[in-house]
Amino acid sequence: MPMDPSAKKKRLEIVALVARWFLGGIFIYMGLVKAMDPVTFLKLIREYEMVGNSVLLNSIASALPWFEVFCGVLLLTGVAVRGSALVLLGMLIPFTLIVLKRALAIASAEGIFFCAVKFNCGCGGGDVLICQKLIENTGLMLLALFPLVGLGKKWALRFSLWPVGTPSDASVGAEKAAQSA
Amino acid sequence: MLPARGSYPDGDATRTGQLHAVKKVLFEALFVAAAGVIVAFAANALSPRGLKLSQDYFHGETLPVPRAKATGTAPASSTNATPDAVVARLVEKGLQVVNGGQVSELFHDPLYQQGAIIFIDARNDEHYQGGHIPGAYQFDNYHPENYMGTIFPLCQAAQKVVVYCNGGNCEDSQFAALTLRDAQIPNEKLFVYTGGITEWTNRGHEVEIGARNSGTIHK
Repeated sequence: MPMDPSAKKKRLEIVALVARWFLGGIFIYMGLVKAMDPVTFLKLIREYEMVGNSVLLNSIASALPWFEVFCGVLLLTGVAVRGSALVLLGMLIPFTLIVLKRALAIASAEGIFFCAVKFNCGCGGGDVLICQKLIENTGLMLLALFPLVGLGKKWALRFSLWPVGTPSDASVGAEKAAQSA
Repeated sequence: MLPARGSYPDGDATRTGQLHAVKKVLFEALFVAAAGVIVAFAANALSPRGLKLSQDYFHGETLPVPRAKATGTAPASSTNATPDAVVARLVEKGLQVVNGGQVSELFHDPLYQQGAIIFIDARNDEHYQGGHIPGAYQFDNYHPENYMGTIFPLCQAAQKVVVYCNGGNCEDSQFAALTLRDAQIPNEKLFVYTGGITEWTNRGHEVEIGARNSGTIHK
């Protein structure tokens, strides 16, 4: 028997809510791990050999952990959710590529199988096998899609930053179309 | 017959609405990013563990010491170093290097008890408390302001200052020695023990647990 559309929608909302909370929680945890030991994080970033300027290196190591915590709190509490999800995606995609590049370099330098590469990528979880890390990050990116498309509004303090009275997107579009007709 | 272009008001409205929604999300993301950066730098400034943005913790060494080839699936840990690369870098910086045998002699020299030879552990609290060369002082190069007041007069009075960290490709002893040299401790007094605490314990020497002179000695 086909599922009732409203029940299906309700179920999707619950999944999206759990995804939002999980993602928020993960980023708070990962950010705090790094923020509590910024020196270790600084050394790990240096190992990527991508930043030569000490002020820039210090800035990244000091701000990035707290930035992750900030975005995590927004997701967890449900404030500016779509924007926060977009920012997290905007961090996850390049960071995953950078970690991938470093793992490829380690595999090549040490002559070992790619999935056997194990190192501390500075992601907040200590030494990790690269394939496991890539799967984790892909999972986080997929989870971020739920809030990004506007799901998981339940128990959100302020899902969108713009005031509640703002005309809906559709009505704004309709008004503009009517004016141009 | 197809209607003329622009005669789909509903379609245009939907498209314009979607564009508006995308813009809203982008602006929201920009706002979150800007607020996040401000909050992040403020949190770092308030945190007792925060980093100083203008401090060159690595003394101009933007690249870490190259790692040695690991075996199997062993993690690329701090003990898999190429000692030659570490020594070469120290020599290039004008620092003197001591090996395990020399450090053992210095440790048993009566001058060590008199404070004319001092050992400096350049690791963080956790590692220092976990076990250091008995009698060694801690000097965490990443928080020099917490230690310089104690360490500086001791280094001035000493004839030899031996700095160590974990060993392997650990560079903290190098950076600590350079910080001391920058603070006008004469270079001829400074020695870096490249083997570090790893070699020290591997040679069967005892370590002191907890604070300096805690009396808790482990072999």
